[in-house]
Amino acid sequence: MPANPQLQITDLNFRYHTREELAIKNISLSVEAGQVLLIAGASGCGKTTLARCINGLIPRSYKGDLTGEILLNGTSISGLSLAKISQIVGTVLQDPERQILGTRVANEVAFGLENLNLPREEIRERIAQSLERLKISHLMDRETFNLSGGEKQKVALAGVLAMHPSILLLDEPLASLDPASAQETLSIIRGLANEGMTVLMVEHRVEDVLRISPENAIFMRDGEIKYYGPTSGFDRSVDYHEVKLPAAMIMERAVDDPAPARLTELRENSRLGSLHAPSKDAMVEFKDVSFWYDPERPVLHDVTLNINRGDVIAVLGPNGAGKTTLVKHAIGLLKPKSGEVKVEGINTHEATVAHIASTLGYVFQSPSHMLFAPTVQEELAFGPTNLKHDPERIKKEVASALEIVHLTGMEQYPPLAMSFGQQKRVSIAAILSMESKILVMDEPTAGQDYKNYIDFMDSILQLPSFDAILFITHDIDMAVIYANRVLMVNDGTLVCDGTPQEALKDFEFLKANRLVPTSLLKANLDAFPQTHRFYSAEELVHVLKK
Amino acid sequence: MLVAWRYRQRNSLVQSFDPRAYLIFFACFLVSTLFFWDARFLAFFFAIALFFVFTSGIRWHEMSRAWLFIGGFILFFSFLTFLTGRGGMELYTTEHSYFKAVANFTILGWRPTLNFTAERTMYAVGMLLRVFSLASMTILIPYSLNPALYGVTFRGIGLPDKIAYGMDLTMRFIPTFGRDFSLTMDAQKARGYEIEKLSGGLFAQVRKLAPLIVPVTIQAIAGSEDIIDAMDLRAFGIGPRTWLEQLNYRRRDRILIGIGIVILVISIALSMLSIGKFWVPAFLIP
Repeated sequence: MPANPQLQITDLNFRYHTREELAIKNISLSVEAGQVLLIAGASGCGKTTLARCINGLIPRSYKGDLTGEILLNGTSISGLSLAKISQIVGTVLQDPERQILGTRVANEVAFGLENLNLPREEIRERIAQSLERLKISHLMDRETFNLSGGEKQKVALAGVLAMHPSILLLDEPLASLDPASAQETLSIIRGLANEGMTVLMVEHRVEDVLRISPENAIFMRDGEIKYYGPTSGFDRSVDYHEVKLPAAMIMERAVDDPAPARLTELRENSRLGSLHAPSKDAMVEFKDVSFWYDPERPVLHDVTLNINRGDVIAVLGPNGAGKTTLVKHAIGLLKPKSGEVKVEGINTHEATVAHIASTLGYVFQSPSHMLFAPTVQEELAFGPTNLKHDPERIKKEVASALEIVHLTGMEQYPPLAMSFGQQKRVSIAAILSMESKILVMDEPTAGQDYKNYIDFMDSILQLPSFDAILFITHDIDMAVIYANRVLMVNDGTLVCDGTPQEALKDFEFLKANRLVPTSLLKANLDAFPQTHRFYSAEELVHVLKK
Repeated sequence: MLVAWRYRQRNSLVQSFDPRAYLIFFACFLVSTLFFWDARFLAFFFAIALFFVFTSGIRWHEMSRAWLFIGGFILFFSFLTFLTGRGGMELYTTEHSYFKAVANFTILGWRPTLNFTAERTMYAVGMLLRVFSLASMTILIPYSLNPALYGVTFRGIGLPDKIAYGMDLTMRFIPTFGRDFSLTMDAQKARGYEIEKLSGGLFAQVRKLAPLIVPVTIQAIAGSEDIIDAMDLRAFGIGPRTWLEQLNYRRRDRILIGIGIVILVISIALSMLSIGKFWVPAFLIP
């Protein structure tokens, strides 16, 4: 145990009043100044509850039974007000969009200081200091709503740093960032720790966090600490299905496990997985497509491409590059200002979105953006009813969509009361029931933990009903594992269109597009002369063994 | 984007005042107009409003949609009032008619009658002047007041910290709300939902809006938990707070407030003397 811990937790237990079981059990840990502690685990493992205990929201805002002790700099947290704790523990929440409260950056950074009723002069000084510390002084007068994801994250961090906390608590700080922004954020955090800040980071993207060498790591499952110690021992004690470990670690572990039959089978049997040389049977054609809101600043610039039968396309590129704009053209939500988009031979200028929807099903990032009906049955019937399918047909479509996503028997459940994972499946089924031929997904894995999103993508690719799949992602590994074609978009231009190996082999090129090569990509590129295709880490080790 | 701020720095008369001064003047103006139906007095208020509009530096294309919407609304209802003759009954007792047409049928015992009179005409003129004066002064606000200053402005005119900050928070989350709304709209369009084709009675139409309203509401509720956490974690509401932005009354602001108060006091006095209640010019009486 460290001699002089900044944070010390002893035998902590908590149960929410609304639930029967304990959310966290027997948690004990301590962290010294200048150290980074990584807290990893799948969703529901208790990481967020632990974070809420440390920043005082439990039991002040979230009621329940709390036992055990938390000491901040040797003082028990139980006697401190939230205002006092907030000056010791600074918390950055997962979604900066919901955390930023000021309309302008300066107001946002000032928020906590204003609440502490500090004199104006001191507030101004502290704003300048914390913006300077994160090298974002140039953002001072910008409107917060128009910042990029990475900028928002830094502004949220600046707002917390301005309160001069000695402990920084970050809840999945990388979730909404593109790889380059995530890396910048991580190195800032390491820098803060090196200056003496204590950092607690809740994150399931372990591979990324390991790059900044956290001193210690915790792995949680079912509310308990399963591993607590230096990160060097992490790989031995942690389930590589639950958090994202570096490829080498997974391969080392997976070599002794049986080959992942499910994925391998999927590639051999599925029409999609096995098609590495897709047919030239174009379902959607983009020809010289340009689009702009303001003619001076085109959002898309001369994009020409086809989506062919058998394609599994990953669309990669930095935030704000035009990926979503590109995809919205395919379904006719946006129409090109010049050039043309044809879906099954029909120009989107001449078709309604409803008409195109029968060819191309678009699943939005968050299921909460579309679920509304009182029952799953009604939710799934909504699309086909809009498309004027007859009732008999709708009945069959709904039943078969439910079967595909394994939700048969839940027809009468209210979608809004289901778990996030189930909602995600309902949102896919709602598109499946329209019998669209192409599935388009915007950031399908955002907001989900590693295990959930891998399971989710596996099951999507096993679906027999689509002729082509296209997904937008930040995660290079998603392209490596699942795609047979990669489109890279930057600054509204299609900068690359090829197989994953062609698109991802040049690291300088990736860097120019704000992507960061992952260990899985490197392992696949190294093995490519033998394998001739890309695999997930657990598959790769078995393929190489053969 | 669905929500775009209309505010820009424009170097205009209205923006040269402290926002609190403008709001106080606006309040005096608003109350004062309510004392009059006499078109000559209302013309005075209308002239003030026009003066602010023409010196606001807002281009017509920026505010044309707002004007067409509000203007259309006002004209429609003023015209209806004029046709039916309702609304002005307490102001005049006798009417001088130009034209009268009585229907030869009744609807549930009511016989539709058109009666164009001098009094009704002047009442409609008064109503147009009054409502357009208020509309002009109101339309300027979103274009001219910096959204970042709403909170401190309301704090400055005496609202408590928490309520005043609520104004700031509303300004902050309107664009987020707008973005959620347009995402939901796109998501439902992608499922073949066509809002243009809503049909049925009022109740049925509202029910058919559920695919938009339910997700947006759920998002807002789910998001508010994070917002409350974020505020709690940064010590909101523990006591009196500092406002980073500072507003200072200058000479011109005091003058504007002074003018507002003088107008109000005079209006009250005239009203007590029953001056400016209603006026029909002699040449209009047949």
